Amino acid sequence: MDYAVEAVNLVKKYRTKKRLGLFKSAVEVVEALRGVSFKAGYGEVVGLLGPNGAGKTTTIKILATLLLPDSGEARVAGYDVVKEADKVRKNIGLMLTVERGFYGKLTGRENLEYFATLYGMSGGKAKERINYLIKLLELDRLGGDYKLYEEFSLGMKARLSLARALLSDAPILLLDEPTLGLDPPSARKIRELVKELAHHGGKAILYTTHNMFEAEIVCDVILLINRGVIVAEGTPAELKERIPKLKVVNLILKSETGDVYAPLKDIDAKYEVKVEENGLYSIKLHLKKPEEVLDEILKKYIKRGFEIVSIKMEEPTLEDVFIYFSEGFT
Amino acid sequence: MSYVDVLKAEYKLVYSEVFRRKTALVTLVLYPYIFTAFTLFVGYAAGSPRMFVERVGVDPVVYMITASFMLMSILVSIDELLWRPLFDTYIGTITYILASPISRLKLYSAIPIPRLTLLAFMGFTSIVPVYTVYYGLSGLVLGLVVVAVLVVGCLVMIPFAIVVTTTVHRVGESWRALNIVRPLMMVLLGVYYPRTYMPLVGYIISSLIPSSHVVEVVQRLLTGMQGNLFTLFVIAFILAFTYTPLGQFTLKAWEHKKVKEGVKTS
Repeated sequence: MDYAVEAVNLVKKYRTKKRLGLFKSAVEVVEALRGVSFKAGYGEVVGLLGPNGAGKTTTIKILATLLLPDSGEARVAGYDVVKEADKVRKNIGLMLTVERGFYGKLTGRENLEYFATLYGMSGGKAKERINYLIKLLELDRLGGDYKLYEEFSLGMKARLSLARALLSDAPILLLDEPTLGLDPPSARKIRELVKELAHHGGKAILYTTHNMFEAEIVCDVILLINRGVIVAEGTPAELKERIPKLKVVNLILKSETGDVYAPLKDIDAKYEVKVEENGLYSIKLHLKKPEEVLDEILKKYIKRGFEIVSIKMEEPTLEDVFIYFSEGFT
Repeated sequence: MSYVDVLKAEYKLVYSEVFRRKTALVTLVLYPYIFTAFTLFVGYAAGSPRMFVERVGVDPVVYMITASFMLMSILVSIDELLWRPLFDTYIGTITYILASPISRLKLYSAIPIPRLTLLAFMGFTSIVPVYTVYYGLSGLVLGLVVVAVLVVGCLVMIPFAIVVTTTVHRVGESWRALNIVRPLMMVLLGVYYPRTYMPLVGYIISSLIPSSHVVEVVQRLLTGMQGNLFTLFVIAFILAFTYTPLGQFTLKAWEHKKVKEGVKTS
């Protein structure tokens, strides 16, 4: 199978200066990537999910030929990102930082015309493509056709940024946090379009985000990245399956006088207790085998005069999965 | 992609900045007059105009407006190149330029052309009317010739400017270096201080700048010392052709350094 993107053991270290005084400084080495390997196929959205500083943008930059890796290898559309950068550039559409990257005194359309030239498009072909994209992203409706870029709202900037990524109709799209800071309608529009482009347009899309909800609804495959390492990989459902049967139990109890912490003393689980009004307590228990211990916990509470108001069991969310894999929580 | 398409894109970009930012346009028109007024003020305070005519052979007003126009034409058009990487970094467009497949040499050699065209037209608001007032119809013709010669002067400067730009921007905080390079160029071009009066080292360095030869052509046209104008043009062109492959090399080296460090995205 031909993969759109293949990364093998990518390593990148940044050397920064640590100021120790007016004249003294030391070199500090930050390991941004510590052996990142993955593959992404055509027709799917692959999400790089991780917190700030995890290595998402560094990975995207290497794949976009904007950063050289210290070691390892990456191929985009079959071309080596270091040795065949020119060929890689013809096969990618790029969207980085939503709020900048255009010329303020040009209109949205003029900006797209300028960048079309950089991609070797001109004349009727460029015009036709730009017209299509302006309509697709509803920039005409928002006035992006004639407004100067410096007058754009953040949502319009994001739409224009995605339009630029789609200009050359490249088979591979590298999108770095494309919905960051956007209003819900713009974010939704971009998410829908991304899915459409992959599933019906056959494009390979690498999509970075730290938004779990977004990753779950947009991505076909998720790569969990933390501290420069991919800690887990799979579909959202597969990832949830892979964590041990960890269930979250929400208990609501009522008591005017009882000690809510006493029955939790000897249990092997993480818990959070919230004291509510009118003698109500909300307890969140993270249990491996609730069927074995929950009964005993409830008996202890009843014995101490607590009234059980409600019991609710929850499936783990992608956030639980991420915490499990990145922090080793069991 | 053709060079014409790249040029068209650059024209639109530069003219949108100039015509949609009216102060930029007004400054451009006024610059030669302001600079001339300032230089004449200083000049008249220090010496007499008659002495100037005796020594240089041209009326100081004509000489200074020509010098200001030459300086503006050459410096402002190469300024487009000198500052462009910083501007693109500041607004975040550098990422998309470097991630695009465009030929860097094509793009960077097209960058100064739109401003140069504009400046050529500015000749009609500065030197041409002044020459006409001073010399009549022959002044009008001389003005047109000087504008044409200066266009050549700016064009031959482009490869040299690419070398300077891509070398300077390899340094951290390159804007500091640019603030040294620009005044040096102002002096070494020889527009206010003809290079024939420079010390030997200054003369040699000035001779390595393609436009300085064209500046001398203009000065000779003004003073009537025509002599070997053709040779000066030939030297300017030879230098421009020599700097072209060097420019391509320094462009690649600059880009390699940017990518090695990581192109800034925020």
